[in-house]
Amino acid sequence: MEIKRRDFLKLLSGASGAVALGTYGCSDIIDVPEKLIELAQKGPGIVTWTNTICGQCSAGCGIKIRRIDGIPVYIKGNPTYPVNRGGMCPSGHSSLEVLFNPDRVKEPLKRIGLKESGKWDSISWNDALQLIADKMIELRNVGKPHQVAFLDGSDQPGLMNKHIAQFMKAYGSPNYYQSGQLKNNTAPYRLLQGINQLPSYDLLNSKYILSFGSNFLEEGYSPIYYTKIYSHLRDSSEHGRTRIVQIDSRISLTAANADLWIPIRPGTYGALALGIAFVLIREKLFDDNFIKNYSFGFNDWTDNKGITHLGFRSNVISNYYPEQVSKITGVPAETILKIARDLGNSRSSVVLGDQGTVDNTNGTFSQMAVHSLNALLGNFGKDGGVYFVDLPPLADLPPFDEDEIAALGNSKKPVAQSLDTNYPLADFSIDSFTKNILNDDPYPIDILFLYKGNPLFKTLNHHDFAETLKKIPLVVSFDPFITETSEYADIILPDHTFLEKWDKFCNTPTVGFTHVGIQQPVIEPLFSTRNAADVIIELSNKIDQSVANALPFQSYENEIRFSVEKLYNSGEGAIISEGVKSSWLEYLQQRGWQIGRYNSFDEFWKLLTRNGGWWNPIRQTKDYKELFKTPSGKFEFYSQNFANIINKLIETTGGESPENREKVLHSLNISVRGDKVFLPHYEAVPIEENMPLYFITFKLLTNRDGQSSNQPMMQEMFGYTVREYWNSWVEINPETAQEYGIEDKKDVWIESPIGSIKVRARLNPGIMKEVVAVPFGLGHTSYGRYAKGYGTNPITILKNKYDMINGNPALQATKVKISLAT
Amino acid sequence: MPKWAMVIDLDKCTGCGDCMAACKLENNVAIVSPEQTEEGRVMFWMDMMSVYDGEYPHVKVKRIPKPCFHCDNPPCIKVCPVHATYINPEGLVGQIYHRCIGCRYCMAACPYTAKVFNWYEPEWAEEFKTCLNPDVSLRMKGVVEKCSFCAHRLQVVKEDADAEDREIMDGEYMPACSESCPADAIYFGDLENRESKVFKLSRSPRAFKELEGLGTEPKVIYLSKRE
Amino acid sequence: MTEEKTKTIDIDEALYRPIYETGRGFYLTVGILLMIILFAAFMYVRQVYYGLGVTGMNQPVTWGFYIVNFVFFIGISHAGTLISAILRLSKAEWRRPITRMAEVITAIVLAIGGLHPIIDLGRPDRVLNIFTAGRLQSPLLWDVTSITAYFTASTVYLYLPMIPDIAKLRDRGGKLTRFYDFLSWGWQGTDHQKKVLNRAINILMVMVIPIAVSVHTVISYIFSMTLQPGWHSTIFGPYFVVGAIFSGIAALLIVMIAFRKVFHLENYLKLIHFQYLSTLLLIMSLLWFYFTFSEYLTGIFGAEPHEMDVILYKFTGPYAIFFWSMVVFNFIIPVIVLSFKKFKTIKGILFASITVVIGMWLERLNIVIPSLANPRMELGSGMYFPSLTEWSLFVGAIAVFVLGYVLFSKFFPIISIWEIEEGREESIKEVEKRVKSYLPGPAETSD
Ligand SMILES: Nc1nc2c(c(=O)[nH]1)N[C@H]1C(S)=C(S)[C@@H](COP(=O)(O)OP(=O)(O)OC[C@H]3O[C@@H](n4cnc5c(=O)[nH]c(N)nc54)[C@H](O)[C@@H]3O)O[C@H]1N2
Ligand SMILES: Nc1nc2c(c(=O)[nH]1)N[C@H]1C(S)=C(S)[C@@H](COP(=O)(O)OP(=O)(O)OC[C@H]3O[C@@H](n4cnc5c(=O)[nH]c(N)nc54)[C@H](O)[C@@H]3O)O[C@H]1N2
Ligand code: SF4
Ligand code: SF4
Ligand code: SF4
Ligand code: SF4
Ligand code: SF4
Ligand SMILES: [Mo]
Repeated sequence: MEIKRRDFLKLLSGASGAVALGTYGCSDIIDVPEKLIELAQKGPGIVTWTNTICGQCSAGCGIKIRRIDGIPVYIKGNPTYPVNRGGMCPSGHSSLEVLFNPDRVKEPLKRIGLKESGKWDSISWNDALQLIADKMIELRNVGKPHQVAFLDGSDQPGLMNKHIAQFMKAYGSPNYYQSGQLKNNTAPYRLLQGINQLPSYDLLNSKYILSFGSNFLEEGYSPIYYTKIYSHLRDSSEHGRTRIVQIDSRISLTAANADLWIPIRPGTYGALALGIAFVLIREKLFDDNFIKNYSFGFNDWTDNKGITHLGFRSNVISNYYPEQVSKITGVPAETILKIARDLGNSRSSVVLGDQGTVDNTNGTFSQMAVHSLNALLGNFGKDGGVYFVDLPPLADLPPFDEDEIAALGNSKKPVAQSLDTNYPLADFSIDSFTKNILNDDPYPIDILFLYKGNPLFKTLNHHDFAETLKKIPLVVSFDPFITETSEYADIILPDHTFLEKWDKFCNTPTVGFTHVGIQQPVIEPLFSTRNAADVIIELSNKIDQSVANALPFQSYENEIRFSVEKLYNSGEGAIISEGVKSSWLEYLQQRGWQIGRYNSFDEFWKLLTRNGGWWNPIRQTKDYKELFKTPSGKFEFYSQNFANIINKLIETTGGESPENREKVLHSLNISVRGDKVFLPHYEAVPIEENMPLYFITFKLLTNRDGQSSNQPMMQEMFGYTVREYWNSWVEINPETAQEYGIEDKKDVWIESPIGSIKVRARLNPGIMKEVVAVPFGLGHTSYGRYAKGYGTNPITILKNKYDMINGNPALQATKVKISLAT
Repeated sequence: MPKWAMVIDLDKCTGCGDCMAACKLENNVAIVSPEQTEEGRVMFWMDMMSVYDGEYPHVKVKRIPKPCFHCDNPPCIKVCPVHATYINPEGLVGQIYHRCIGCRYCMAACPYTAKVFNWYEPEWAEEFKTCLNPDVSLRMKGVVEKCSFCAHRLQVVKEDADAEDREIMDGEYMPACSESCPADAIYFGDLENRESKVFKLSRSPRAFKELEGLGTEPKVIYLSKRE
Repeated sequence: MTEEKTKTIDIDEALYRPIYETGRGFYLTVGILLMIILFAAFMYVRQVYYGLGVTGMNQPVTWGFYIVNFVFFIGISHAGTLISAILRLSKAEWRRPITRMAEVITAIVLAIGGLHPIIDLGRPDRVLNIFTAGRLQSPLLWDVTSITAYFTASTVYLYLPMIPDIAKLRDRGGKLTRFYDFLSWGWQGTDHQKKVLNRAINILMVMVIPIAVSVHTVISYIFSMTLQPGWHSTIFGPYFVVGAIFSGIAALLIVMIAFRKVFHLENYLKLIHFQYLSTLLLIMSLLWFYFTFSEYLTGIFGAEPHEMDVILYKFTGPYAIFFWSMVVFNFIIPVIVLSFKKFKTIKGILFASITVVIGMWLERLNIVIPSLANPRMELGSGMYFPSLTEWSLFVGAIAVFVLGYVLFSKFFPIISIWEIEEGREESIKEVEKRVKSYLPGPAETSD
């Protein structure tokens, strides 16, 4: 039976007589599948709520979906989910526009003609999978399984990354990359503490929060978690109120809500941190006990060969006195003094970095400098300090035997890392990835899988990346939408959107407790899409029994159950539920975490999926042994890890010699020599002297890395803070604007050494005079009707620069000039 | 008779904008096309103001969410020629979309610029019509709309309370914006109930109302230490 | 009666001529006007179909040309009836050739102005809600009431004094005899009829003045009853009325000059008429300035921040050009032109009148837009650019006015013939008597 749109709407609106249909004169049959219509037609208007996890960003907030006869109509935060406690961000609220997006890929597609032709033909799931499997079998048959690469844009340490890793390992390729920068961002902690994890910050118990460009209320890995904490801090009485000081080149949302905003020249965070360290040291405001007993390299020291090494203290005292730092950073010396004293005197106080600090050529060194402040304050394992959260006790995927072909493939050098001296700390470097594939160095790539992420839209040097995509004979995208990147795909195997699929989230970086969130379908898949994870299982079955053995699950859902069963067996933590009050927590602690409310795993699973997740609310206090896995077992101001890495590099590139050492350091663009290399220090960002203004980008809550641009509600809201809608803008200080004859709301050209963009000027007193800033996320050239052609992508004029040692894109290292567009 | 009121704690609100999005989603507020937003015809029942203060580098920015203030003495309804906007005994200022002739006099008269107008027939992509909220009526071109304090939710809450033969509890009637605010900055409740959170907060020394001098008696009360 | 084809050349033949002689110019004018009007009508239908989105109005500037023109046209309408009533009432004899013209302006312009709020409606299909669900407390409803009353009163007030002239036309015969017969209500010019007519006119003219005053006062209430900066002012009532009369006189002068030229009425509309009227214009200009000055002075002295936003928007902001042009057009030019004998020629007066009409339109613009464009809340100031639709409806409205006038003058004498005759026959004596009565006579002895 054909149901007309109008009837359908009437059905939907049956409950309230007041619905005015207006004049939708449209008699077309809707594009939404028949079964949905039938559902609505049969249904008596019954409301149900389902808990799941928001998939709009890696924060993974718990959400509740309101469904009417099974059709999702509203979303609210899950009040019991510990990450967001009922809170949400605008992007989360536009999730239904992902599910019902008219530009979804509704079935597998096969490209016709050249790459980027934009012409697609439908192909059945079976044919598509067979086609890919055949190619993969062929590669294995000729002993080249390593020539398959997998780029995964998600930042989440969930199950999917393990799933893909297992698949790639069993198949025989070392080329699985998580292109989100998370892992690279842990470089400073690897160097200073020997651990491969981002820290969490105990803002709740802190009295003074000094944030180095960490826009934790607006960007960050979990803005909503930190908003909850912020709200709590502001709720407490005036007495002993926590002060928040935000150092940033512009007034971000965090700076707007901070007690004090300190403007700083981009790329100079490291210098400022060391300037503050100078004051803390000179005025003896540091934690003596911690420094004496748990740190290494603070004072000058002598190694077992009898060589005296420079210590952190000497280096700071001789090079980073406030007047000097003030010249570099543009922050007045008095301000440096003041914040250092406040920081030192108001214990507990904590220093945040990570975010704005790291997107530059000197990012790792800057973050090392910032993090060393936490060491000076002795902030480890302490209330109001820095801590590292355990991973939940989930089952790893079952071990398997890789066959010979796989073993051979896995022994090959990964393509993204083979540039010899570049980026010694990079897990993944898009720069190396691009260059190496273009040069077939050390071998070509024949098949590329793309899962989540739209690298072409967001990477530097995207022209070369596009060439890479063109070069690879078979590019397979799992994206539910046609993105800039999937324009270059040969086959699109559309994934479900997150409201239709199973997945598992855990430990959002920087969230302060161990947790697991279960994402589950809230509606039957609308179209002929499949969960990418299931597709991978199917592929593995098609390729070879030995590959299939690695993923012995009928479906990804089963795999999730398998991994969660260990959680149940561990008896730790609790399924999230209402009323997690502090008294209850104490009770839990006394009872040793056992919560006997479920008698079987099935019961546990039922409750877990009903409530949406699991957590372990008590932070395990860790001793310093666990926190400092360095050669010295201490916090290393002087990073022996880094020294070892450099020494190894020198060895592999011609052996230890002063010339060779010089060559290596030079090729890494490190400007200092001797011991300073391994100490937190400031490296100047190489910038174009002939360009007068710094150019930085920032992100908004209305757009997650450009992902929300295909959601009209987020496009309309995009710049709600400055009343710019569906459009990008450039923030310019009024004085700068006057200097260049620029008026508010007029278009300007922003010209960098590699190109120019036209953007609307918005004068804003909340930005440094020598800086201009453009929000990131708009300017799509694909990605559907709501995204394409709106706003400007600032990445197109960013210079191709990377963090010198971890290879992260240096997004804030470009200088520009501006002029009125006429 | 309860008097419904909202308290927005600006010391807690970060300006994240989620209230705006939650409201749009809950109330089927139309998405405005880029051509229209360029003309200044956005549709936010909950809008956001940005207040800049001070000289660089001592600049302060405050973001202030702004719904309809549900004035107790609303200038908007005084001017409506056809009873298309009214205040009910519980203090909710409502709109009757079917009756509104679209003269926009109420918009001109509202000192808080709280109302928006359907300059064109509101449109959704066919797919998005699937997930409209059936509890909230759709608007047609040529009529005025604004924040309703999510009155349709009151309806449900009332039925529940009636069925159980009890009063509505504090916090039971929760508009969408208040429910999802990640900073818990939006309180909602009965101003006549001395036990309610909003009553207590409305007595806070931090409490103030916008343009109090006009005598509109807004029932959206802000809390702020600054000012 | 029609047999009497004596065709005596009436001394007022010049006033009949336009009715009987139809040149190509007439058809051309009507044709062009009709085209403009049809286009405007098309644009309006389009607006109804698509919604008010086709205009340049937005948020926060929710009112635009339609409301500006509404106030403007209703203002112009005060030309007529009010002036003619006042002149009649004060027995100003020089009024005789101009009352009709003034009254016609009122009737046509009022109809046009009265339509504007409907054009402005987002849902014109629901306009009847005003009657079925009307709220008397709304100033908009006061408007509906007073404009309807004014329109009724002024059309009757236009029509009644036309009856003797229509009867004359009827008596002259021709194709339209039946039409004139119908309209003349059986007028034979009997003493009784004359008496009744005069009484009716007298009653109406007394009635029409308060109605007219009330109309523009009420229109000002639309604005002043709100709390908006720049609007919430007690002075608005008289300010609007003065402005209305001001623009009305200017419009009247323009019409008079136009007809004088086109129909060669130099014999009827003499320099003296223009000079008298323009003196009135000068007085109104001064009065207007007085009100404007008081209005802004109090605003500036109060220096309430939101009030100042609006004032600055006009003084130095985006509306400075309109605001200062308004001052020049409404005050500086008319005062200079009309204060010096040298400039007070027909041309000079025409010039001043045109600037006043434009200036008064600008005043309406300055009242409506800047207050809306500067919301009190921190939302940034708005801007308003009228769209093609609004421009075409504006031009269309003017075309309707011109067409209305052209057609009126095609069917009816534009100068009241019988009143001229009456003037010739009776007034001189009467005035003499009246003047004598003002003068001190022989002292009367009282008991
Ligand atoms: N709303 C939102 N949140 C997100 C995301 C999103 O897309 N949208 N993406 C998530 C992801 S994947 C990540 S990796 C994180 C990244 O989040 P961040 O790393 O925080 O983001 P960035 O854009 O690098 O910069 C953060 C802030 O630092 C400032 N800044 C940047 N560079 C400089 C500099 O050189 N000097 C100075 N002084 N200031 C600088 C910017 O003004 C900005 O306010 O965010 C996550 N959270
Ligand atoms: N100028 C500038 N450039 C930047 C940044 C910046 O701040 N400024 N930030 C940088 C940072 S931190 C990052 S992490 C990158 C972000 O780079 P990416 O990781 O590439 O961005 P995402 O937004 O995570 O990618 C979103 C894509 O994943 C798809 N997707 C969403 N859900 C699913 C799913 O369930 N399955 C599948 N298969 N696909 C899905 C969406 O359709 C969309 O196409 O951008 C970087 N680039
Ligand atoms: S922060 Fe926003 S987008 Fe990210 S998971 Fe939470 S609600 Fe979703
Ligand atoms: S949702 Fe809450 S914190 Fe966010 S802008 Fe609204 S009131 Fe403020
Ligand atoms: S805020 Fe405006 S729309 Fe809302 S009740 Fe008050 S006057 Fe009316
Ligand atoms: S726009 Fe509608 S609600 Fe507003 S005053 Fe006019 S009729 Fe009343
Ligand atoms: S109360 Fe309801 S209608 Fe009003 S702003 Fe909040 S969500 Fe929107
Ligand atoms: Mo990222």
